[in-house]
Formats: sequence, C-alpha cells, structure tokens
Amino acid sequence: MSSTALNQRGVASFRTKLLAAIMLVVSALAALGLYFTERKVMGDAERDLRLDFQAELSSLHKVQELRHAALAERCSALVSKPRIHAALEDNALDLLYPSAKDELRDLMEEEEPASKQAASSLHARFYRFLDGAGGVLSPPHPKDVGVLSARAEAQLVLTKLPETQQIGYLSEQADPAGETVDEVMAVPIFSTETGNVISALVVGFKAFELAGKRADAEMRSGIWVNRRLHLPSLPPSTQAALSSEIANAVARFDRPQSNFTVTVNGALHLLFYKRLNPDSLFSPAYEICLYPLASSIARQHRLRWQVGGAGALLLLVGFVASHIVAARFAVPVEQLAVDSEKNRAQRKRAEAALASTSEELKRSARYSADASHQLKSPVTVLRAGLETLLAREDFTPEVYDELSALLHQTYRLTGVIDDLLLLSRMDAGHLQIGCEPVNLSHLVEEWLDDLGALPDSLAVKIEKEFPAELYVAGEKRYTSLIVQNLLENARKYNRPGGRIRVVARKENNWVVLTIGNTGRSIAPRAQEHIFERFSAGANVSGHGLGLNLALELARLHQGHLRLLRSGEDWTEFEARLPAAPPGSDGVVKSA
Amino acid sequence: MQWCWLVSFAICALLPTSVLAEAAVEGRVELPKSHSAPVVVQRYEIITKGGVLSTSPPVAVVYLDGPFSKPKSLPTKQVAQKDLAFLPSLLPVQAGTKVEFPNLDDTYHSIFSYSPAKRFDLGRYRPEEKPIPSEVFDRPGLVTLRCDIHEHMRGLILVLSTPYFVVTDAEGQFRLSGLPSGPHTLKAWIDSKTTREHPVELKGGGTLHVDFP
Repeated sequence: MSSTALNQRGVASFRTKLLAAIMLVVSALAALGLYFTERKVMGDAERDLRLDFQAELSSLHKVQELRHAALAERCSALVSKPRIHAALEDNALDLLYPSAKDELRDLMEEEEPASKQAASSLHARFYRFLDGAGGVLSPPHPKDVGVLSARAEAQLVLTKLPETQQIGYLSEQADPAGETVDEVMAVPIFSTETGNVISALVVGFKAFELAGKRADAEMRSGIWVNRRLHLPSLPPSTQAALSSEIANAVARFDRPQSNFTVTVNGALHLLFYKRLNPDSLFSPAYEICLYPLASSIARQHRLRWQVGGAGALLLLVGFVASHIVAARFAVPVEQLAVDSEKNRAQRKRAEAALASTSEELKRSARYSADASHQLKSPVTVLRAGLETLLAREDFTPEVYDELSALLHQTYRLTGVIDDLLLLSRMDAGHLQIGCEPVNLSHLVEEWLDDLGALPDSLAVKIEKEFPAELYVAGEKRYTSLIVQNLLENARKYNRPGGRIRVVARKENNWVVLTIGNTGRSIAPRAQEHIFERFSAGANVSGHGLGLNLALELARLHQGHLRLLRSGEDWTEFEARLPAAPPGSDGVVKSA
Repeated sequence: MQWCWLVSFAICALLPTSVLAEAAVEGRVELPKSHSAPVVVQRYEIITKGGVLSTSPPVAVVYLDGPFSKPKSLPTKQVAQKDLAFLPSLLPVQAGTKVEFPNLDDTYHSIFSYSPAKRFDLGRYRPEEKPIPSEVFDRPGLVTLRCDIHEHMRGLILVLSTPYFVVTDAEGQFRLSGLPSGPHTLKAWIDSKTTREHPVELKGGGTLHVDFP
C-alpha cells in the first residue's frame, strides 16, 4: 500500500516537473516576444518620427532652397549694381545705403506677407552691408534698412568676409512677447577692380517655421541658435532647460543631426535636431523638432498588454496542453512504474519460491544422500550373508541358484544406491568435477571390451568409427559413467543379432559422441520423459536413473545429451562434451 | 591786375603766332607695358587691375602742376558714350570745365560718379537727349565715370588745376608748349595710383627735355 502511494507521489512529481518545464518555456517565449515587440515598437516609433522629421525637413529645405535661390539671384544682381560698387570702390560709403535703398526697395517695401505665404515671399526684414573686416557698416537711417537691436547686429558680424553665400540665423527681440528668429543670407560683393571680396550684403528674412503635417503627432518645431532655443509654443523656462540639453547633445555627439529623448512638461518627447547652416560662417543653427512620444508610449503600453495577454493566453493554453501532454507522457511512465512494481512483487514471490524450492531440494538431496548411506550398509550386510551361504556346500542346487539370484539383486541394489548417491550429491551442488583431458576413445574402447565380455545371448555386432585419440575436458570417472550408461543402454535395449554403432568426432570446440543401436524404438510419448528419473522402459530391467545421471553429468561438463532419433529399428543418442583445449585445466562447480 | 595778366596770357596762348617768350617741355613717359596685342584701330578704354585704373593701351597725362588761376571761361569738353564705352576714356580737364556726356548709342545710359572729386548722377537719358547732360568739374582729382545700366563702362576725368596738360601718345611721347617760365613741377599721371613728378626750371623760348623713367 505504501509503495503505491510512493509510486503515485513519484508520478505526481514527474507531472509537476514536466508542467513546470513547459510553463518555463512558454514564459520565456512570452517574455522574449514581449521584449522584441517592445523594442520593435520603440524602434518603429523612432523610425517613423525620424522619417517624419526628415520629410518635414526636406520639405522645408525645398522651400528654403527655392527662396535661397531666388534670393541669391536677387542679391548677386544687387551686389553687381554699379552704384553699390561705386559706393564701395570709390570710398563713398555714405552713398552705400542710399544707393542700395533704391535697389532693395521692392524687397523691403513689399507688404509683410501673411505667415503662410512667407515661404514664397522675398520680403526682407532688414539688410546690412559688411565692411572689409566683416563688421557691420552702420546705416545712416536704420528705419530704411530695417531696425536691428545692437545684440542682433552683433550677431551679423563675421570674422572675415565670406567668399560664398552664407546662411545664418539670428535671434531678435522683435516684440515684447518673445524672440523671433531671422534667417539671414550673406552674399559676398567682389570688387570689379581688384576681384577681392570688398563687402557683403546681409539680408534678413523671417525664418520659416515647420508646419506639422501629421495631425496625430503634435509636432513642435523651433530653431536653436546662439545657444538659445526658439520654440514659441513652449514657456521660456522649458525652452531654457531644453536649450541646455540640446547644447549638451550637440557638444557630445558633434554631428550635424541626431535625436534624443527629453522630458518636456513631464511627458516624454523625442527631439530631433539638424544643422540648418552647415559650413556657415555664422553661428551654427539647428532645426529642432519635438515629437511627443505619448502616442507611441500608449501604443507600447497597449502592445505590452496585448503581448502580455497573448502570453497569458499562451501560458493558459500551454498549461492545458502541458497538462494533457504531461498526462500522456505520464501514462507510459505510470504504466512503467506500475509494471515495475508488479515485476518487483513477482520477482520477490519468485525469489521466495526459489528459495523454498532450493531449500526443499537441498533437504531432499540431503535426505537422498542419507538414505543412500543408510541403505548401503544393510545391502552390504545382506551381500556378505548371501556370499557366506553360497560358500557352504550343503545346499541343493536350487538353493544355490536362488542364492545367486539374490546376490545379483544385491549388486543391482548397490548400483542404484550409488547412482542415487551421485545424483543427490549433484542436486545438492556438492559435486565438483576436475577439468583435465580425458581420452574419450580410450574410455569407449574399454567399455566396449567389457561389453563384449558380458555373457549374454544377444550376439550384438559392434561398429566403431572414431579416432584413437579424442580428448574431452572433464573428469574421467564421470565421463566414463556417461559412456557406460549409453553403451549399457545400447546393449540392454538391443535385439538379438542387432548392432551397436559408436561414432565420435570433433566439431569445433566440441567432441560429439553418437551411440546408436538396433531394437525397439522408444514410443514418441515416452521420448519426452526418457531423461527423467525412474522412467525406464517397462519391459526391460533397469532402475531408470542411468539416462538422467548421464544427462546431469554431461551438463556438469557444460555439455549436453539428447536423443537424436528413435524409430524403425534404430535409436541413437548424441553426447556433446567440450573438447580439451591444449594445456587447460580448472574446476567447474556444478550449478 | 592779376586777371588782366591772365587774360592776356590766355590770348597769347591761343595765338599760334605769339611772340611772347614761352617755354616748352617735351620728352617721353615710360609707360607700363601693354599686354594687349596691337590692333589697327586703337581704342582706349579704362581697365582696372588690382584696383588701379588706367587706360589700355596705356597713355599718360603730363601736366605742369599748378595752381594756376582759373580763366573766366573754359571750353566745354565732351565725353561721349559710344558703343557702350566712354570716348575718350580718359579726359584731362582744367578745374571748372564743363563736360558734356552725349549719348551716341542706341540705348539708354545713366552716367554717374561717386568719386570724392565729383559726385553726380545724370540719371537715365536717351540718345540725342537735349540738352546734352553735362556737369562742371571744379574740384581737382580723378573722377571715375560709371554707367548705372552698363556696369562694365568706366571712364576717367582727370580734373587738374592747371591749363597746361597733354595726353601722351601710345609711346609716351609728349610735348607741352606755351608754358610760363619759372620753377615748376612737371607731373605725369600714369594711372590712378601712379603720378610721377619732375621739378623743372622753365625759361622763355627754350624747350626742356624731360623723361619720366
């Protein structure tokens, strides 16, 4: 009962382990799926926004390029005007701005366009000329050329005059509400006399603003220039904080464009920046785009839930499946466990039975041995008495015959007792045989001689076919007993005028001895029992131990004895005994 | 008294058969090498090279440096615009001279100057504009003429405070005659940045030979 409980506990533990393993795998898969999905979502969001930023920028750039091209054309036409050249070259700087005023009138005096059309318009907010050292030539009437604060004007100063057109950005406290950013274009003025750059015209425009095209993403854009951020939709303090972050990023990455995440008003944002005026002599300016990550984070959360739900579902399915699988897996295992339990019980029973049988066998063998000894003594006494009686000469011949018959019976009794004794020793496992080369041919010859000397009326013809030297490994006494038993049987069950054929040969590691004889065959039903004890033929004298003894002895020699055939006036036995290997010896204990 | 003398001097100067004792200077100005290939019809134009205005092929203006008193009236000179160029491209005038700028082209011109010696702006005018746009140049100095429409056009008016001046030929040969005797400074304007000078002691009736290296 306890073993069954133990067994069930084992099975349950196996199931639990299997379940745990499957759940572990499912959990790991779900976690991995979650991880990769989240990464993908984040990466996708970033990529989408970057693409959006790039698209915004590229559209901005297209517009800017158009304006720049138009502007550059205007400006280069302008700076090649003879009056401007004359003013610069003929040292008539006082006439510079008045001359330019006429030329730039259309640019300056156009109606300030609505912000939407700002992109296509060439309305200039101000213009200035730079002197040979890059400093700003002060205009005589700033109102005519666009008023600039001293700080803004200082931003126009270049370290040297540009050889090519330059784009710059400057922040300007245009109105009390906040700062505006102007885009400036500097066009070099080459002297017609020397070919050198003698001045530059700087024209300032209202900077473009990125218009967020994505309705869902509340993109905010601005410009970061002179370490100041201009993102009008943000409060100044936030702008200042962001500005320093951008400054750090720009200093750290040293790349014309990049992105990083920032927290604005407590919400996570992705900030892109890109240099607007690469390789410009003006201070670097960056286009800044701020994308709220709220939607992507929400999507991420949603996905996390979805993946988590899917994982849980998977886990549940896995649980059920694992349960089923575990049960299926467990069935054979349980069966195995039950079977093994059964087998164990059976084995125990068999062992117990074996033990008792062996005990019984031992007891019976001991009994048989005891009995043999107890029997031998009275037989010997009996024989001695009979021989004494035979020695007397005062009996009638009938009495002598009777006494002789009795004496013969005592000999027969002695033979039976000897056989029983031997068998009982074998059964008890006490018989030990040596393992020495025995010349089987010699043994057969001896027994055949003895057979021929026996006084009987059968007149049996002997046929022999074996080499003179044929050695088997065994003990001579018992090998001889096997040969004796077989030969005696061959003579005993023969018919008058019959024959005995003895053949011996070596087959591989075996010596095969076949002894056949003519005479009545053994009935098929009796053939099965001829090797059992006390199963001699009913009509022939014999105590029925000989064949059994011969078989047991052959087995003791690791050999075998069997009936080859019996029928049609011919019965043949075959004994297989191990051939003696050259120079071998040892002791084989009977099983 | 002085201007009586001047008037008589002027009259004498205008008279070829003057019997007054006048001095003359002749010589040669070493002109910068012209790199342009010689052409059959020599046209002089103003070229700028390294910020220096000069004529091409090079010529020089040799003058006896003043000051000399201005005559009451001076002949009107002309700088025409022909084939989108000033003709002559270099005009020496005595201060106070009125210069007319006739437009001989089929297009508009807008001649102006921002030069310190004379700032003026004639504005756009047609060919055959009447009266012919003109300006009086009364401050000595070099005046760069430009056209607001044709940015390549350059002309030079060298306003001098002397009536004694001559433009050399292409080889640099010059001859100035009818000069007042006495110690003077003879100058040779070669380009906008180069003016050579040479002190001379003029004597009536004599011809001095001065070469500008």
